[in-house]
Amino acid sequence: MRFNPSIPDPSRLVWRSAWLVLLLGLGGFTPPASAWAVTHSALLGDSRMNPKRFANYFANFRFEYHPEVQPVDSFLRAERGDCDDYAILADEVLRRRQFNTMLVHVRLAGATAHAVCYVEQSRAYLDYNNRNVFFTLSRSSSSLREIATRVADSLEASWTTASIFLYAYATGEKRMLLTIARTDPPGTDRAAEPAPVSRLLVN
Amino acid sequence: MPSPDRTFRWLLTFLVIVAAVLLGVVGVTLREASRSVATAAWVNHTHALRAEAAGILASLHGAEAALRTYLVTGDARAQADYRAAFSDLAEHADVAKALTRLEPADSAKITRLEELLVRRADLARELIRMRQGGSDSDLRALLATDAGSEAVHEIGRLVERFRQEQAERLAERDRASYLQAQTTRWTVLTALVLDLLLLAGAAGLIRDDLRARQRAATAMQQANEHLETRVRERTAELMTANAALKGQSLEDRWARLALEHQLHYNHLIIDAVSELAIVVTKSLNITRVNPAVAHLAGCAASGLVGRPLGALVALAGTPAEDDPLARALKEGRDLRDRPALLADQAGRCHPVTFNLFPLRDGGKVVGGVVTLRVRAITST
Repeated sequence: MRFNPSIPDPSRLVWRSAWLVLLLGLGGFTPPASAWAVTHSALLGDSRMNPKRFANYFANFRFEYHPEVQPVDSFLRAERGDCDDYAILADEVLRRRQFNTMLVHVRLAGATAHAVCYVEQSRAYLDYNNRNVFFTLSRSSSSLREIATRVADSLEASWTTASIFLYAYATGEKRMLLTIARTDPPGTDRAAEPAPVSRLLVN
Repeated sequence: MPSPDRTFRWLLTFLVIVAAVLLGVVGVTLREASRSVATAAWVNHTHALRAEAAGILASLHGAEAALRTYLVTGDARAQADYRAAFSDLAEHADVAKALTRLEPADSAKITRLEELLVRRADLARELIRMRQGGSDSDLRALLATDAGSEAVHEIGRLVERFRQEQAERLAERDRASYLQAQTTRWTVLTALVLDLLLLAGAAGLIRDDLRARQRAATAMQQANEHLETRVRERTAELMTANAALKGQSLEDRWARLALEHQLHYNHLIIDAVSELAIVVTKSLNITRVNPAVAHLAGCAASGLVGRPLGALVALAGTPAEDDPLARALKEGRDLRDRPALLADQAGRCHPVTFNLFPLRDGGKVVGGVVTLRVRAITST
């Protein structure tokens, strides 16, 4: 094959782009988040979506506590949020791709809590704390007690209760399906089932 | 010195007891650690229950306040606030129920509390329906009949009483945990002291055994040194004796050589004597003759040695039953100038003059010397 100088070498283009980004970064230039941020529609439209791929979208997100769950667009645009925002969005996106997901809320000693999204097909859960590490998926069985124990161990804390819950972006309503206490004997744990709507919910 | 087997058995016994105590301490410590973990879990459980109860009250207050704001203003933000507050209330109630599921008394209290909360939620829904339906007069009438503050105070009292009971349980569990920790501490300290005493005993045993072995080694070394000294002394004695023996042997050899020389010289003297000389034993057997006897007898001297004297020489005129030679030797007397006959090999008899002189050694007759002087040679 004769050498044709008009066809650019792809590897050289990649290296040049990488050097440009590095120089810009060293120069303190940070492109606006909106320029690079993923959108809700992009997440929902990604035909190759899977838990690992979903986690990769959030590798550069930062942690910022919000007492309530953020609207999806706000979360994605700011690239800042907490475990609730991440887990609930993962549940919505992956459920649309026929993944069996489960939102788990783990309450820890000291009135702190953490939320994760369990994916049955992967036998693992998505944890916002692991968004920028190599192993973004944390292996676990689907047992609520085991998920709670692993989440607590990753935070080097003790858990008190764990719940499976549902969340609706439209109404902002969080509904508990099942709650277990750590001090209860494991044999008394019930399987998660749609619980009747709490009579304390007022819309 | 205690036997090595006995010391080893005692040592083994001590170490087995130390190991048993250590295992016991490990078992107690692990059990207490498990209890501590369980106690910590219960403490966290109780704190979580108190927190959920407080959360119920806080959410209720927030929901009531947001609801009243919405009822007055109809503001969508107030609506979102009361919805969120009631949602939190529902979550706190669910969690409280889960935490008390296996405790009937507490579960009954939470159920009672939930019933009161449901009444407030039902009232809220009714008020909202009236507000959204535009029934202001009905709304005002319902609000007037509502003993809201009293109901909320009732719920608050229930919650505070419940939290106080949980706090008392915490205090009890803390006391129990403290006593457990004390027990564990004393158990571990006692086991530590016991183990140290046992190890000290084992060290004492080892020290005594080592000292006994050291004493035995010293005694053996001393015995070896004494033995070596004795060996050296004995060797010196043997060397001295050996030197003396060598000297004695040399002297004996010299004496023997001198005797042999003297004997040879005596033989030369006897052989040089012209008279016939015969040496006989006490029993008159010939032991030595000089060449003159051999010449006269016509045979070699060796042929005569060992023969009785009587076969060669006989005294003349002596009766057969009389043996004056034996008698003279026995009595130790000389016999001089006796006529006798010497028979030679050819059978000829030569007349000789017979002399017998007893040989004495230490005063005792051991033999005799016979000298013969030829009176005439018988020719053939």
